[in-house]
Formats: sequence, structure tokens, C-alpha cells
Amino acid sequence: MNSPTLMKIRMFSARFEIPRIHPSVNLVLFAILVLGALGSSSVFAQQHLSKRYPAGKNVRVELKNISGTITVESWNRDEIKLSATLESPAAHLSPRQTGEALIVDVVADNRGRSDVGDINFKLQVPVNSSVDLETKSGQITVSNIRGELVRAHVSLEGDIELIGISASQVYAQNTIGNIFFDGEFARGGTYQFQSGKGDITIRIPADSAFKLVAAAPNRKIALGGFWNDGIKSLGDGRKFVGDIGEGRSRVMVTNFQGSITFIRR
Amino acid sequence: MNCEKCQDLVSDFLDGALSHEDQKTLNSHLEECLDCADVRNDLQSIVGFCRSNRGVYVAPPNEKALWLRIRNVIEAGASPGMLATAPERENVERRNFWTNWVGRSWELSFPQLVAAAAAIVLVVSLSTVVGLRRWQSGETVKNNNAAGAANLSVAAENVRSRISQQQQLIDYWNQRVEFNKARWNPQMRETFDRNLKVIDQAVNDSLDSLSQNPHDEVSEEMLNAALNEKLSLLKEFAEL
Repeated sequence: MNSPTLMKIRMFSARFEIPRIHPSVNLVLFAILVLGALGSSSVFAQQHLSKRYPAGKNVRVELKNISGTITVESWNRDEIKLSATLESPAAHLSPRQTGEALIVDVVADNRGRSDVGDINFKLQVPVNSSVDLETKSGQITVSNIRGELVRAHVSLEGDIELIGISASQVYAQNTIGNIFFDGEFARGGTYQFQSGKGDITIRIPADSAFKLVAAAPNRKIALGGFWNDGIKSLGDGRKFVGDIGEGRSRVMVTNFQGSITFIRR
Repeated sequence: MNCEKCQDLVSDFLDGALSHEDQKTLNSHLEECLDCADVRNDLQSIVGFCRSNRGVYVAPPNEKALWLRIRNVIEAGASPGMLATAPERENVERRNFWTNWVGRSWELSFPQLVAAAAAIVLVVSLSTVVGLRRWQSGETVKNNNAAGAANLSVAAENVRSRISQQQQLIDYWNQRVEFNKARWNPQMRETFDRNLKVIDQAVNDSLDSLSQNPHDEVSEEMLNAALNEKLSLLKEFAEL
């Protein structure tokens, strides 16, 4: 067993002998390693995506999310910027552009997957864009859009804020959450707001003219300065129907458990 | 004198072979009994025809049909007019009708068969149309009457019926949701259940109002809206 090779191994081992460490030090080192690994995983749990799409002035954006926030705002460029933050486990995301429309369908792209994390979207679009936004849960905010359509649908929970909107069709619906609309009613337009449990607030110019149908079983309907004698109260104040101004557009507001408030701007 | 005796003597009467007394009695009966008077007139016209056309035979236009009619008359038996009392006559009439109907031999020509078939089809079609109309009008009348008589209970029943129909759909989609729910993450499950409770609360509130006032249109609208909302939510999440 005293071969030259064995001798060399023994000499190498003696030169690089690993020092003996106390067990408590070992434990501390192990904890540091674990914490480091967890920290690094949380850093890499989010994915960021940012992409720009060329667009005309009257583009249409359709977005169907599962959960997470959606923020849409206008900018002075003829292009769409889509930014998304994907929480782990990251969803598949494959936006597609067809003609004048950008379609992002997270539901279809991840059908059959149950482990999809939140996706928080931010979209910057031309001011005359139409936006059709859906999510199962999460807040939707749309600001300064003057296109044909603004639709914000939260199937479950999430506030909806539509600020600076001047579209001929506006639909906002959620089950739990507030709805806030600050904008204008266009002549001949249609505006629908529905919530299961939350407050609906509509802030519009004082000279707005529309046909109103507003229903809230808990009788919390406040028309403020828009009240006039031509408005009929039905069901002991649970429903109001009537014309405000010349009644040029149609406004339907339904709230099952929350309030409805109109504010003059 | 009764009808039987009268009709036995009519032939002799026309031949002028009756005694003055019998003639007088017969005349008084004929003045009172229209049936016997008809028999006398028929027989008189036959005898008159035979006398005026003695030795001349002209075949009738449809000889076979004539003989059939004669045969039917013979098989029909005694004339009701021969019976003394009205109840007896009615009984005999009824009996003769059924006897004729059941017992007659149905020898029909092809055109008669076609006509009979066409008549049957026509009668069945008409009776079907009339029956349907009566049934529909009966339903309408029934509904109107019910609405007038027990308006509240009918309105409540309508609401219950509509809810029951909606509930069947809701149950179906709910089963599909429950099947898929196990795959969702816990947070989504909790959120879904919490939101469904809000809609159920809206449904129950509307039902409470309707139980107090079945004609409350606002509650009915809210109920419909809430049920539709629940249904669309279940459909949406059944596909998730």
C-alpha cells in the first residue's frame, strides 16, 4: 500500500486539511445560507414585461386579467405601451395585435392552470382609444380617455375608478368595491354602473343632460343638484326614474347594497 | 183510433173502400196526427203516380241508390209515427237509430267511400282546431280568472316559478364551479365565496320584500338582476 500515488495523496491531505469548526458556528452558517436563498427567490419571483405597439389614433385595447390591478392612462403618442409585473408563479402572457386592436387575454393564455400569480398591468394608450377591461379580482383605474368605449368589469372584488372620461359608452361593474366616475356624458351615449356592495359615485358637469334609472334597495340614492320635480320616485325611494336636462343620454345605475351619489362638478 | 190502425186503413181509404163511419174516424185522426197525414200523403202521391203512369216504366236516375234507400227503409222497421205515445216513439226512434247504425250493411260505392273519408278528415280537422282554440281560450280565461280571484297568490307563484327555473340553471353551474373550485388557489376560493354571499344577500333581500308585497316591481327587478348576476358569475367561474 506504499505506492508513490498513495504517498502523494497523503501529503496533499496533510497540506490542505480542513479545519474543525464548532457545531454552533455551523448552525449559524446554515441559517445564513437559507435566508440568503429565500431572499434571492423573492427577488426573482416577480417578472417585469414592457413592450410597445404601434397604434393609430383610434385604437382598441382588450384586456382580460385573472387577478391584479389594471391601470390605463392616455399619452400623446400613437403607440401603446404595455407594462406588466407578473407575480410568481408567472402567468403566460402573449399579447397580440390585430388591425387596430391590441388583445391581451390572460384567461385564455393560461386556461387549465390554477397556479397563476397576480399580474399588475399598466397601459399607456392614445387618448382616443377604446378600452375593454376585465379582471376577476383587482382594481381598475382608467384616466383621461376620450374614445368610443370604456368598459371596466371586475367580476369579484375591486374598486373601479374612471377619471377624466369622455366616451359615448361607459360600463362599470363589480361585486364588491366602489365605483367612481368622473367625466362627461356624451349626447346619445349609454352609461351603466352596477355594484353588489360598494358605493357608486358619479361626478359630472352641472349641465349634464340624461335619462336616469337609478335603483338601490337600501334607498341610499342622492341626486344632489340633479334632482328635479320630473323625476319619479318608485318603491318608496328605492328607484328613481326621470329626465335630467334634455335627457340626451341614458344612465342606468344599480347598487344592491351600497349607495348611489351624483355630484355636480 | 191509434196510428197503427190508421195506417192499416189508409190504403183502403185512398181506394174509397172504407165505410162512412171508418172514414169519419180516420179523418178526425189524420187531422190530429201529422205523421199519419204524411203517410197518407206519401201513399196518395204514389198511388196517383201509378195511376197516371200506368204501364209506363221510367228507370230512376240512380236505380241502385234508390233500391238501397228502399232497403234501408224496410230494415228500419216500424215507423215511429205508428206508436201511440210520445215516450214510446222516442224509445223506438233511439232503438231504431242504433239498430240501423249497427245492423245496417254498409254497401257504399267508391265515390261514397271517398266522400265519407273526406268528411271524416274534415270533421277531425275541424274538431281539432275548435278543440285547440277552446283549450287556449280556456287557459287564458283560467289565467285571467285566477289573476282576478287570487291576484296576490298568483303573483307570488309566478315569482316562485321564475326563481325555480333560474335556480335549476344556477344549480347546474354551481355544480360545475364546485368541481373546478378545488383547482383554484385558496385566495381565489375565499374571494369567490365572499362575493357570492353578497349576491345571495341581494337575492334574499328581494325575496323578503316580495313575500311582503308580491307586486313590488322594484324588488322584482332587483331579484331578476341579482339572479342574472349570480348566474353570469357562476358561468364565468365554471370556465376558469
